[in-house]
Amino acid sequence: MHETLAEFALEYCRKKGAKYVEVRFEKKSYNDFLLKNSIAEHSSFEESQGLGIRYLINNNLGFIAINKFDKENIKSTIEKSINLTKNTKDFGEKINFSKEPVHKINYQVKQKKKINNFDPEDKLNILKEIDKKIKQIPGRYLNLSDTITEKYFINSEGSKITSIIPKIHFFAYLTIGSKNKTIQKHIPYGSSSGYEVIRKWNLPDAIENDVNILTKILKKGVKSPKGTFDLICGPEITGIASHESVGHPYEADRIFGRESAQAGESFVKKDMLKTQIGSEIVNVVDNPILENSYGFYLYDDEGVKSRNTYLIKNGVINEFLHNRETAHKMNLKSNGFARASDYDKETLIRMSNTYVLPGDSSEEEIIQETKKGIFMKSYQEWNIDDKRYQQKYVGSEAYLIENGKITKPLLSPVLEVTTPKFWKSIDMVGNNLKLFAGNCGKGEPMQGIPVFMGGPTIRLKNIKLK
Amino acid sequence: MKIAEKLKTKLMKKGASDVIISAINYSGKQIKFVNNKVVKTGTEAAQDISLFVAVNKKILTTSIKDINENKLDSISNKIIRFSKNLPKNPNYEGITQGPKKHKEISQTYDKKVLDLDEADLVQKGINKALEYSKRVSGVFETNIADSYLLTSNNIETEEKSTQLYFSIRALNNNYESGHMNSCSRTLNLLEVEEAAKLAGEIAKKAKNPLPGKEGKYDVVFSHMAFAPLLNNIAEAASIFAVESGLSFLSNQLNKKLGNFNLIDDATLPNGYNSTKYDAEGSPTQLNKIIDNGILKTYLHNTSTAKRYKVKTTANAGLISPDAFNIIFDAPQKDIFNIKKGIYVTNVWYTRFQNYHTGDFSTIPRDGMFLIENGKITKPIKNVRISDNILNIIANISGCNNNVKQLKSWEAETPVKTPEVLVKNVNITKPTD
Repeated sequence: MHETLAEFALEYCRKKGAKYVEVRFEKKSYNDFLLKNSIAEHSSFEESQGLGIRYLINNNLGFIAINKFDKENIKSTIEKSINLTKNTKDFGEKINFSKEPVHKINYQVKQKKKINNFDPEDKLNILKEIDKKIKQIPGRYLNLSDTITEKYFINSEGSKITSIIPKIHFFAYLTIGSKNKTIQKHIPYGSSSGYEVIRKWNLPDAIENDVNILTKILKKGVKSPKGTFDLICGPEITGIASHESVGHPYEADRIFGRESAQAGESFVKKDMLKTQIGSEIVNVVDNPILENSYGFYLYDDEGVKSRNTYLIKNGVINEFLHNRETAHKMNLKSNGFARASDYDKETLIRMSNTYVLPGDSSEEEIIQETKKGIFMKSYQEWNIDDKRYQQKYVGSEAYLIENGKITKPLLSPVLEVTTPKFWKSIDMVGNNLKLFAGNCGKGEPMQGIPVFMGGPTIRLKNIKLK
Repeated sequence: MKIAEKLKTKLMKKGASDVIISAINYSGKQIKFVNNKVVKTGTEAAQDISLFVAVNKKILTTSIKDINENKLDSISNKIIRFSKNLPKNPNYEGITQGPKKHKEISQTYDKKVLDLDEADLVQKGINKALEYSKRVSGVFETNIADSYLLTSNNIETEEKSTQLYFSIRALNNNYESGHMNSCSRTLNLLEVEEAAKLAGEIAKKAKNPLPGKEGKYDVVFSHMAFAPLLNNIAEAASIFAVESGLSFLSNQLNKKLGNFNLIDDATLPNGYNSTKYDAEGSPTQLNKIIDNGILKTYLHNTSTAKRYKVKTTANAGLISPDAFNIIFDAPQKDIFNIKKGIYVTNVWYTRFQNYHTGDFSTIPRDGMFLIENGKITKPIKNVRISDNILNIIANISGCNNNVKQLKSWEAETPVKTPEVLVKNVNITKPTD
């Protein structure tokens, strides 16, 4: 039925004068479970479906979201939308899309342990097993969710793409300690797969291990010294820095100012392409086709085939993230980063899986070669300005390094640094690539979208820490 | 909605103890403008039906696309089947008992929104800001909704609503920008040109900012800058956040935190989120969360209130009680009459190292200015507020009488706030 409706909507937009039309039908089934301090606070199952329609009329862009599927409603909503778009034509931006190949394809991510074969009890038991292992801490907020997204995409150029992508997401928010001496930590996991990933994650042991480490930090940690150090960043810090200060500022819609009102612009300008931004051993990619990754897709929400994209190659800005609009502005082909979080949201340029490529050194070697350093393995508080120029990370698990050895745990070291300084200071890149799940926010209304971010352990020379 | 009544009856017969069915039919429009041009129009027409069901203290929520006679059995069977596999929530204490009277709130529906010339309004906003700046970006949104609520505890009610939201950022050269929002339920109270003028004026004044210096400053927070902090305080006042260990207000009940008032009022005329009933049908009310600096209550629904032996504050959210419209005031004074300070006109990316202790930081964006000897002197950039929110609360020194209603990206719950002076705020900066 949805195919007929999508085609009907597309044809009706064309009949009303739209030169280009694309229609996304999306159906999502979603299950969510929350265990708060051992109590099953809330469980839910949801289904949503709707049509997201985007069109160009007189080169002005209109977007429509509908979840009432009778044809009269579809027609009247399209008419209302086209009227609104025409009303703004006197000060409407003339928008063009890059020419892209037509694709007709079906693809899906296979599930070995299917989401629909797991009943709510099985899913809650996953959380209970974790909870049992960490009962000694006062704050245990554990959340497990799964989603199956079915999409049917067509456009007026002839593309027709069907996809089914299942996702599993786990999130813990933990409070360790008591009274005013506490550490809090968020721990996210994500995957595009079925429930077979749960065994791989081994959550009860992994979360117990995190709790044990942070408990030790809280008990034995000393105030972090201030001054200039060699800073070793674990994969979690490398990951958030690559997401916040490489992925975001390389989004071409930011560079052109399209998100200037809310998500902001970028310190990176169009003419900075092919200029040095980091040390020569730095390579950062955004790779949507990484199998089972949380940000996985093969075709974006404009029907463009995705590919692994080098954002930084040997320290040089190599490519920006594009959709068809920004690619046309730069006389390029889109590299396929247009995504929308739901049928009722417009597509925007979004990261997928952004990470620093691994180098040659082992983590042990990096530590051994560090005379006076701080090893920041994980973080809790972080932020970055809306041009993505100055960032801050406050360490959760961190250690002092003296003469090549970890000597003592540290409490909350603070890195507050500019983006060029961060990426130009890297002098060692580890071989231990690790990826972390996140939900990235952008757009108005806000769209949260699943991504991976990560990298190996890296070392930054002579960094001031607070 | 006889069909909702039938679904409720079926669920009760099959073992449900509490049922809430809420339905909303809405239509929305959006104009997004960038660099003085419209880059997208958005039009939405949708309906949502959501259900809350308790079966012997097993709690679930779900949503369904539509209800018709043929689907009643399959929907109710699926819900009951799902609930059978859930454990009991021993903390659950039920929903409010009806019937209840829901008093109409004034200025929450405006027919003029139905026939609005959105393009004209946006053009006026853009033109006004362009008197002060080179380029302008933002959004204008309208929503029109019909809501309906039916519960198994003898509550059936409905309301109509309209909402308007305008957000505008004026930009000149790098780091020279200003941002202002306005939101309203009625067209005549939406401040389009006023917001545009303010955004433009800030952008103009922010010419050639220099990097700021670290240290302790008295900070004047403008409306946009203070709204995210108020949102964080209101979120911390939810009993859900307190129980989750995610509140710096836990163990602070009846303690003096500062010298100000914080109210949540869902009955506020023209309040952007005003509603006559909460998610379980309790008639909404004005709640003094912090009164003369003393934390008086957390935000509750019927179930959490029973557990704590207090009355519901009518802030359901069935899982997490939430604020509707946050209202702030403090003793009025000349807030710019300070020796060494900073005027912060907007912040973003407010993040906590520890919600329990309140350690956090947030980044000023848009125009930011040094205040020296009672005067705004020069624009600055590239600093961060790195402090503890309980310190910030304790150091609130006063406010002016320039009250505005707004919501924003960082302040999803609308606020009515003046500009506020906070003493002795810790300012940090990055290393180059």
